[in-house]
Amino acid sequence: MRTVTFIPGYRKIDAEQGSTILDAAQRAGLNINVVCGGQGKCGKCIVYVRSGKTIFDQQKYKRFFTDDELAQGACLACQTTIESDLQVFIPDSTSIQEQKILIDGQETAMEFHPSVRKYYIELQPPTISDPSPDLSRLLWGIQKAGGPSAEKIYAPLEMLRKIPAILRHSEWKATGTVALVPGGYRLVDVQENDTAKRLYGAAVDLGSTTIVVYIWDLVTGKIAGVASNYNRQISCGEDILARVNFARKNGLSKLQALATESINLAITTASNTAGIDREDIYEIVVAGNTVMTHMLLGIDPAYMISEPYVPVVRRALSVSTGRIGITCNPNGGLFVFPAVSDFIGGDIIADILACGMSEKEEISLLIDIGTNFEVVLGNSEWMFSCAGAAGPALEGGEVLFGMRANPGAIEKISIEPGTLNPLYTTINGIKPQGICGSGLIDLLAELLCTCVIDRTGRINTGIANPRIRTNSHFPEYVIEWANRTGIGKDIVITENDIKNLIMSKASVHAACVTLMNQAGINRKEISTIYFAGAFGNYINKKNATIIGLIPEISIDKIVNIGNGAVTGANIALINRRMRKTLDEIACRIAYIELNAESSFMDEYTSGTFLPHTELTLFPMVQKLLDTCRITKE
Amino acid sequence: MVSDVNFGWSSTIVKVILGATKTNGGTRRLSYQIGGGTTLPFLEGTPDFSGPLIAFEICDDPQNWSSIVRNYCQDIVNDCGEWAHAADSVYGADMIRLYLTSTRQRNFSDIASVGKTVESVLSKTSLPLIIEGSNESTIDSEVFLKCGEAGEGERLLLGTAEAGRYRSIAAAAMAYNHSVIAQSPIDVNLAKQLNILLKEIGVARDHIVIDPYTGSLGYGFEYSYSAMERIRFAALKGDADLAMPVICSAIDSLTVKEVRDAEPAIQDDIAVQWEFTTGLAAAAAGAEIICVRHPRTIPLLRKAFTNLKSEKTDMGGQ
Repeated sequence: MRTVTFIPGYRKIDAEQGSTILDAAQRAGLNINVVCGGQGKCGKCIVYVRSGKTIFDQQKYKRFFTDDELAQGACLACQTTIESDLQVFIPDSTSIQEQKILIDGQETAMEFHPSVRKYYIELQPPTISDPSPDLSRLLWGIQKAGGPSAEKIYAPLEMLRKIPAILRHSEWKATGTVALVPGGYRLVDVQENDTAKRLYGAAVDLGSTTIVVYIWDLVTGKIAGVASNYNRQISCGEDILARVNFARKNGLSKLQALATESINLAITTASNTAGIDREDIYEIVVAGNTVMTHMLLGIDPAYMISEPYVPVVRRALSVSTGRIGITCNPNGGLFVFPAVSDFIGGDIIADILACGMSEKEEISLLIDIGTNFEVVLGNSEWMFSCAGAAGPALEGGEVLFGMRANPGAIEKISIEPGTLNPLYTTINGIKPQGICGSGLIDLLAELLCTCVIDRTGRINTGIANPRIRTNSHFPEYVIEWANRTGIGKDIVITENDIKNLIMSKASVHAACVTLMNQAGINRKEISTIYFAGAFGNYINKKNATIIGLIPEISIDKIVNIGNGAVTGANIALINRRMRKTLDEIACRIAYIELNAESSFMDEYTSGTFLPHTELTLFPMVQKLLDTCRITKE
Repeated sequence: MVSDVNFGWSSTIVKVILGATKTNGGTRRLSYQIGGGTTLPFLEGTPDFSGPLIAFEICDDPQNWSSIVRNYCQDIVNDCGEWAHAADSVYGADMIRLYLTSTRQRNFSDIASVGKTVESVLSKTSLPLIIEGSNESTIDSEVFLKCGEAGEGERLLLGTAEAGRYRSIAAAAMAYNHSVIAQSPIDVNLAKQLNILLKEIGVARDHIVIDPYTGSLGYGFEYSYSAMERIRFAALKGDADLAMPVICSAIDSLTVKEVRDAEPAIQDDIAVQWEFTTGLAAAAAGAEIICVRHPRTIPLLRKAFTNLKSEKTDMGGQ
């Protein structure tokens, strides 16, 4: 055994000789950035060995380092094995920092009608003249206390085993917990004395990157606590595909365990802040994408990632939390949102529930953007959906100085016409380290409005301004000079970055148009556009329209619903009627496979222009651009 | 039954003037006005249509030019002024398209020679001229300005603007009142995008000619045809950003496998047939200018156009 000390923080952990630094760091609870899942491909897990002996092939991974960095002991944590006691420095850029996780769901004025209830009952002890069995006595008590009728409640064996002792020990004063499950009512707990006020439920947004948990007091109908954290599966690969491949190679159990652990961690944090006992949480509602929920349930997701893309299950599921390993009342129920397809999962159904589009007569368009995007178009009668790869550009990937919404990310930016000097804000207000998605959308719109780029996104290198220059490969615009950044390098956006962004936005818009064509409607018939997802909440609606990310409708008809997945989960947790509609919503949605739509490529090419090749689709943007760009006829 | 040869279309292709005569400030003996179409060419009942213009392509450095053409034209290819003169007086072309291939050598810097070449060609022929400039962004600006300057007043057609490089050529065209060839890779959307880009930096719509990029017969021509058809249909339906005349140059026609592998005795014939058939199909799609490299293709095309005009396609009407 060797001891590895991680600085800063001086966290110590014992590790096997020959195991990797990454493994030790993960066991020490340190979140290391491993985009590729530890294959030595992404070069993100750079650490510095300060003392001790390691084995690392500098020659093989030279491309990730400067000579200077190598001289200082830099190596890739995933490719370096421990040979002696070590002291390892983890730089800020390597540890996964607390991302600006969107935990704010929407305000929900939802009727409070949870699926699980507690009933405090005081029973008459049995006598020779009233010898009815314990269970009947208990269930009648519950019925008399306002619960469902006794014959409708099913009592599982483990309850029957508990009942006699509890009832007698508490002198026939007890609290019964009854849950509405598919098929009827179920007695899920019997406790001594009056615990009726201690009844909680948790709504979970199981994202591939982050997990958000809301704990609700199911007696008062109020939120008791909120917490979020990273999905620990990130250590097995950043994107879903990488994780499914990880599961194929190494089995599903680690991913299942990590998903459970991530949820448990958030539940624990939220419970601790709220000062409640996790045993009092009787219900967990989970909204997540199809692969995530399959993994959580320990169902093999392998067949979903290749043709013909078939999930194992798409209907809503209820299971006992104990079987999944969620730390709450072991008899509690876990409800998992239904899905439409591999690519339209429970998170999107939750978005739909959150924005209410499935109940409205008017047509709405829902867009959830991440690395992948999902689009749903429809109303109370019909719905079409599709999903596609937006590419990582809108989340900061494939962009030289792109980054996730971590501290130091430029999240808002405008450019002064003439001087071309930018005005920006960063997350947490610290010196900039890069640009996140919302900043990139602003930047693209601003570069267009100030004529730095043309409508295909090419930088006009003819402009005499020190911020516009050409590096060894591409023309670029300097957002901030090295001495004013937090990374000691000029932060720039290159023509290639811009190209990637335009390709991303073109696919989102093309998907919207494909659904509109499918439904035979035009943009004027869309009453509302809902932006869901973490990214959507910080988006500047006007700039998103200027670059043609979404069809042009009046800006005030664009609504950010924030984290729709958690809002939807909240609704399903506190309102049993809405929960019942989920399967029906999921069945109403027709899934359009974009790859099979011959017009999609054409729509996409049309969209690779700012805002769009068909300028008539963007009359307001065109008018705006006419005033800030020079147009001659 | 009389067919509606306009198919309900209501728009007109923009007219572009190529070449300026003395009265218009130039030295050309002819000035063409292309465009103006309201439907497809060669249909019965269409307004008088003189058929597309045939442009003969020459260059100022023929080392990489097709050996078939070099063999046919002989020594004349080494003097682009004489070559242009022959195209005009012997081959019977409507226009000359001069490729400044000399500028495409590595580290080319003799910008002054560009002006001299253009002037020499202008002096040896009085046909309107199309000039293809450099292919290297570092010298584009100087080369195009030099071409533009040398041909000032002549209403040249300058090529070739692409989405990735259009500013230099547009600047030269605007400075000296020439028109621009806007080339995009066989896609209606990309063609439209480039036209919008040009419009935005100030090139007037009646100074743009679309080059949809022409694959040669058997080597992608069907894609070009489809793109041309979509461009033209969109234009006639009212899309102003696509309502420009079209130029086609299937420059690979002389180097396709069937020509390269042909028996020496018939190689020349096959090359001409290949170029002719591609050009004819492009004309049917509505191209206003057809470019060729083999002198023998010119009379064949011209005869075909005449025949098509006199026996215009019956639209199936009785």
